[in-house]
Amino acid sequence: MQTPIYYPKAEFIETDTGNKVSRRATISGPQNIILGGKTIISNGAIIRGDLKRAGPGHAVVISLGRYCLVGEGCVMRPPYKTYRGTFNYYPMKIGDFVHIGANTVVEAATVGNHVEIGKNCVIGKFTIIKDCAKIADNTIIPPNTVIPALTLFSGSPGHFIEDLPESTQEVVEARTKSYYTRFQAVER
Amino acid sequence: MTPTVLYHCPCLSSDPIPPPPNAPSSSYQFHPLHELFFCEECDAVRCNRCVSVEVSGYYCPNCLFEVPSASVRAEKNRCARNCFMCPCCRNTLSVVPSDPSDADDGRLLTGGLGVVGEPPFFLYCNYCRWDSAEVDVTFEKPTGLAAQLQRFEDSAPDSLEFERLKEHFEPFLRASSSSGHPQATHSHPAHINPITAAASSALARDIPGVVKYTPAPRGRRDKGPRDELSEYRSRVEVAGTKDTSNVDFVRRLEEVSQVAALSQRWTSSWTTPLRSSDLRPSRIPLRSKKTKRCSTCRHILIKPEQKAQSVRFKIKLVAANYLPAMSIAFPSPDLARQRAAGSRQTAAEDTSGASGLQAGGTYPFQLALTNPLYDPIKVRLKAEPQVPPPSFTAPAGGSPEKAKRPPFVVRLPRPESEIPVAAFAEAWEYEDDEDMFGGDDDELGLERERGGGGGKGKGIGVIERRANVTVVGGEVVIGRDAKGSIKFNMLVSYTYRSDDPLADEEFTFYTVVDLGVIIPRVGVESITSD
Ligand SMILES: [Zn+2]
Ligand SMILES: [Zn+2]
Ligand SMILES: [Zn+2]
Ligand SMILES: [Zn+2]
Repeated sequence: MQTPIYYPKAEFIETDTGNKVSRRATISGPQNIILGGKTIISNGAIIRGDLKRAGPGHAVVISLGRYCLVGEGCVMRPPYKTYRGTFNYYPMKIGDFVHIGANTVVEAATVGNHVEIGKNCVIGKFTIIKDCAKIADNTIIPPNTVIPALTLFSGSPGHFIEDLPESTQEVVEARTKSYYTRFQAVER
Repeated sequence: MTPTVLYHCPCLSSDPIPPPPNAPSSSYQFHPLHELFFCEECDAVRCNRCVSVEVSGYYCPNCLFEVPSASVRAEKNRCARNCFMCPCCRNTLSVVPSDPSDADDGRLLTGGLGVVGEPPFFLYCNYCRWDSAEVDVTFEKPTGLAAQLQRFEDSAPDSLEFERLKEHFEPFLRASSSSGHPQATHSHPAHINPITAAASSALARDIPGVVKYTPAPRGRRDKGPRDELSEYRSRVEVAGTKDTSNVDFVRRLEEVSQVAALSQRWTSSWTTPLRSSDLRPSRIPLRSKKTKRCSTCRHILIKPEQKAQSVRFKIKLVAANYLPAMSIAFPSPDLARQRAAGSRQTAAEDTSGASGLQAGGTYPFQLALTNPLYDPIKVRLKAEPQVPPPSFTAPAGGSPEKAKRPPFVVRLPRPESEIPVAAFAEAWEYEDDEDMFGGDDDELGLERERGGGGGKGKGIGVIERRANVTVVGGEVVIGRDAKGSIKFNMLVSYTYRSDDPLADEEFTFYTVVDLGVIIPRVGVESITSD
């Protein structure tokens, strides 16, 4: 019943922890990026680990949990602001079981666990998305928005549409795990 | 489109049989499995339409502060911290000082960082660029804004009028509730007539839960506490010059957006002005966590944890933990071709028979049954026969038998054949699911059956059994002239072990299966008739 999603084996790099990163994705500053394991970075995605707080050494800029999906053409860019005269980037933390649809731009500060973000969305700077929330396709979330747990947001600007079912956590977990299982390499 | 299986909730109806799948009422009675609840006490499915809901806690959706119910009333259901909503676009507003040079990227946080800068401060929308200075709402200090704004709200004429009305009715409400005749406040003696009475009792008979309309006894009508009520005089005379100024405003109107939309006037502003330029910002309305009860036996089905942002529940009785989950897919015939072509990261997700469901075709499908119980179950399936749509008239010269032919026929294992589904075991929930699906099943001691079952067609019956999943093959035969969608009601019964070792328990429910839309044949007739 699990319809496989095939990809040519050579197109993705698989890590020891089961992350699958497309060779066609742009991963800047990889030393500043953490992938939790079994996370998929699709073709054409851009992850800006290079945009870090000023200063020497490396710090975690973007961290993604387990069973995440960064869709095709997504841009993940850490949020920034000028505070008391100083410009700085701030880290972005994404939880486990988070799917981000194709061509979405994410500049959130934190995204909880079991979150679904649709395609063609803009998640503004310093947005906080709590657990089990869902952002519908084509939604624009302005900077500094807080999205409570178990709620669906949609629109431009995105606002509350409805409460999500109490079993959202189980449903999203099953769906994200199943997606990873279905995402299979095929030898050319 | 992927085929869907939705589950029926009879919603306390005495008639458990759902409407035919194409009836408009069907969509209101079927739900995705994960949205349904299960009451063990009543041994019945419940949905969001038939549970009773209570508030178990309030919180602000922006600062996520949990508000004790004692303060909710005084603060009028809105956040008393620094959370404000744009009256134009409903985005959250920021507090900004008058000197934007130091305004940190033009948007300051309402949160803990604190606001620096020169007074006066105002509220600014970083989405639509509305700012509160436009409506003369400014603040000398960037703190305690909610209290300042609530003073504005409370001094608005509408709010004052409402307070006066409440004061006016207070003694009446107190008197009527203590008089021991609560009915008196609910009945409307002015509307008594035989038609209302008849309609009301019919409604009470047909719809459980609707209280029968009982007018107050005639004798009481003239001397209820209602008569002790003095006449109410409003603060402001309604008839005034305002109307003519509105007429003037509308005459000079250039853009529709100059008029405030109803949603803006009634939900996003503390005043209800006609002009959008007069809209006032408001404090963000609180949201609530909810406890849900079975409306028949009052048992709790959903009880959330106290913490506002926790997604855990103290009680969560959901149907997915009782009823087998069902999903349907069409095996995609060109899978092998895709594999060979090694096409790019393309999902083989559109599996509606790969090329769609053509009229006149026969399509095999696979129905997966997943058992959530710790005991094995036996499932029986029965697809309700298709009734031809009433508009389906016999073509000229065609035999009446042909006219009565249903648009499609669904073949499943015979209704009396029992489909075994193994028990759910925690071990199968292991992180490494792919071991289960890709690995060697025999190692787990699982049986694997192929082609069993006993349907008449080839491939109808149990195709595969692994872990707590049994895959059943079925097929749909589509009539040559069929159109519309392939949607049918399916009765599902399953037996499970009960406390009584001699008799197994049985539970029965309806589902509606939607396999997709039929692609009509492009025949000679259809071309000429177009
Ligand atoms: Zn119901
Ligand atoms: Zn708040
Ligand atoms: Zn706005
Ligand atoms: Zn009950």
